[in-house]
Amino acid sequence: MIGGRRPLQGRKIADKRVRVERPHSAYFRYAGPGQLVAKPAASVPRSGLGRQYLRAKAWLIGRPLASEDEITERLSKRLALPIFSSDAISSSAYATEEILRVLALAGAGALFLSIPVAIAIAVLLTVVAISYRQVCRAFPAGGGAYAVARQELLPILGLVAAGALLIDYVMTVAVSTSSAMDQLISILPSIDNGQDHRLRIVIAVVVIGLITVANLRGLRESGNIFAIPTYLFVGLALLIVAGGLFHVVTGSVTVYPRQPEAMPMGTEAIGMFLILRAFASGSVALTGVEAIANGVPAFKPPEAKNAGNTLLAMAVLLGVIFIGVTIIAREYDIVPSADLSGGPTVIAMVAQTAFGTGSPLYYLFQVATALILFLAANTSFNAFPRLGAILAEDGYFPRQFGFRGDRLAFSWGIILLAAIAAGLYIAFEGNTTRLIPLYSVGVFVCFTLSQTGMVRHWIRTHESGWWWRMGVNAFGALLTLVVLVIVLTEKFQGGAWVVAVLIPTLVAMMLFIQRQYKASARQLAIRPDFVLKPAMRDERAIVPVPGLTRAVVRAVNVARSIADDVLAVYISDDPDDAHRMRERWERQLPGVQLVIVESPYRALAGPLMAYLDVLELAWPPGKPQPITFVVIPEYVARHWWERILYNQSARRLRALLVGRPHTVVVDVPYRRDEGDRFHGLDADPHHEGAPTDP
Amino acid sequence: MADSSAPQFRRAVVALSGGRTDRPIVALAAEVAKASHAELVGVHVVEIDWTLPLDADVAGRSEDAQRVLDIAEATAEASRYRLETVLLQARDVGAAIVDEASERGADMIICGLPFKRRFGGDFAIGSTIPYILKNAPCAVWVVREAMPEEQA
Repeated sequence: MIGGRRPLQGRKIADKRVRVERPHSAYFRYAGPGQLVAKPAASVPRSGLGRQYLRAKAWLIGRPLASEDEITERLSKRLALPIFSSDAISSSAYATEEILRVLALAGAGALFLSIPVAIAIAVLLTVVAISYRQVCRAFPAGGGAYAVARQELLPILGLVAAGALLIDYVMTVAVSTSSAMDQLISILPSIDNGQDHRLRIVIAVVVIGLITVANLRGLRESGNIFAIPTYLFVGLALLIVAGGLFHVVTGSVTVYPRQPEAMPMGTEAIGMFLILRAFASGSVALTGVEAIANGVPAFKPPEAKNAGNTLLAMAVLLGVIFIGVTIIAREYDIVPSADLSGGPTVIAMVAQTAFGTGSPLYYLFQVATALILFLAANTSFNAFPRLGAILAEDGYFPRQFGFRGDRLAFSWGIILLAAIAAGLYIAFEGNTTRLIPLYSVGVFVCFTLSQTGMVRHWIRTHESGWWWRMGVNAFGALLTLVVLVIVLTEKFQGGAWVVAVLIPTLVAMMLFIQRQYKASARQLAIRPDFVLKPAMRDERAIVPVPGLTRAVVRAVNVARSIADDVLAVYISDDPDDAHRMRERWERQLPGVQLVIVESPYRALAGPLMAYLDVLELAWPPGKPQPITFVVIPEYVARHWWERILYNQSARRLRALLVGRPHTVVVDVPYRRDEGDRFHGLDADPHHEGAPTDP
Repeated sequence: MADSSAPQFRRAVVALSGGRTDRPIVALAAEVAKASHAELVGVHVVEIDWTLPLDADVAGRSEDAQRVLDIAEATAEASRYRLETVLLQARDVGAAIVDEASERGADMIICGLPFKRRFGGDFAIGSTIPYILKNAPCAVWVVREAMPEEQA
């Protein structure tokens, strides 16, 4: 359009030009014939409150990113490592201690077994890492164990894997927050005196909230925030391991003095069961290894290759730190502190062997350990929403879990995870010991299922080197199954039964959701050969009128634009009022038929519905029922409290009409500030000082 | 990062022809403008022949004209810079660009010079660029398209 501008004169007489208005350009960009792309301005709310909310949201989580920016939000290997690996790497902070605690039950003589057990776990880690690296390549769309089990085994087993993973991710947040708080309390005991846990809970919930906000800000930004503590921990831990191993190799080890809080040595016999228990306890080191396989699409291209290499780097770092810490702990004869004794953790004592007690590096390492334990939760914040999105895409989760938020993060999954994990933490008062039994069961279910699935994958595809790959996966499946059985047996009484109940419950829920979606898809589907024919049915419009107001006039006008057959219906409990209404109506709205329904019992909605029924019955039989548009005049409230004063009857009427066959409800809003469009229709102040409730 | 040898400006009019050179010159202009927070105005002129009145509703209904400006806007956005767009109807493209630059007080006009591959290949300088060079009230930056041997 030209916009009514006169030609602009140029510098020379003949040089004239016209500026052409482009009304769409503020909100849309042309993308092709009949196709526009909305600009950010199109999404800005029109109301002041809405704009303020948007500003606050932008301040908290950042300005919205366009879908095309998704590629720039992808993670480099440098950023992906801390995001997806903080859970796995952080377990090196406590896995050695878990082994020593079990072995100590058989006395100091059994502690030497910690190194063979750690090596066995490292072998398991290698097998699981190789397996998941293969999963990354074979399933580049992500989904990890869920995708493998669903495709290679049975869909229901995929759901079992998904349920187990979802539970484990929630537990990872709760447990890692809880253990980080323990670490913090060991430095600042005033946080929790053992009686009053409120401050501990408040701090933990605030931390979960901060991690949530960081994740809502998007993948890349949260990666930038969380990279430093993870790399700090890794760097210092490698320094400790290198220093410790140097002393071991050169024979310059000085035995660590037994601390007063050291746990008492037990008298159990050294047997296979004890060794297997130590192996199972130390296997917590493997939790989080699967996270990368779930989030392959989050990597920069080539996604699968980058994910696989990051997984390899993570496994190497975890393995080196874990084995190194275990060797140092053994060589220095470090014994774990007794439960709740307030003594130092094994990793802290190992750090003291390298940095000395009270040195700045020692404290820096302690802080880095606490931070990485907090950040272990972050791995779940990336993996859980992605798994939720994949499940939503497959129809097993509500669809909103597949929608990306303003910053391209899966906001629904992030918020749900934060809410459940915080709720769990509050319910268990942040007690790590009570939370632990629920932990790590799910992850071994997934390891076993994914590796079994990969065995089938190799048999089916016969890709190059399939036989040795299959061998690795079969060996891994067997090992992880053994660990699963041990973990389940040992923790069942302590609370693992909850997980055993929750997994089938989640599977049932996901199947129910999928059935609902399938049923609605069937109901809404149109045949491929369907072609819309020209309108054949009659149309009529019914306008329920509460009086003669500007809102009613507008609704009548809208009704006239919809159908030729317009009928206004006035329900009244006062015959005199009805008479006055008719007089006025015929004088001011001639040509629009008014039906007055007297309602001696003062009901409004009921008589109107009955009148609609009567109209339907009166329609000639054999002729298709007309589409009845019920046009409801509505007065738009300016303030929230005004909503209580107006439109109550309209709301009730709308609720009754929804779902009525052959009926379409049309709301016609009237705003108070639109009065200037009604010149000549000014209300009689005696009759219409305020709008009546339509 | 903008090339330090690139010309500096406060407000530049970028002449958009709808051809291959539009994207590179907008991207280049955005990079240079970033350093000095300069203002960029993308101008596309639809030439109206003498059989129609100058204010005939031609450009407003032309998806091609809208597309030229929208693509330029998107290119600038990709460089994280804002480009104001103006659609003009005129009898002569060069005159309209010069007049728009003059009215807006622009201190630079940026034009793209495409390379015509056919018939041995040459720069398609046409009549617009020479007109702008002759009549512009400010500096003119002509950015030529890379020749095939340079692209290889």
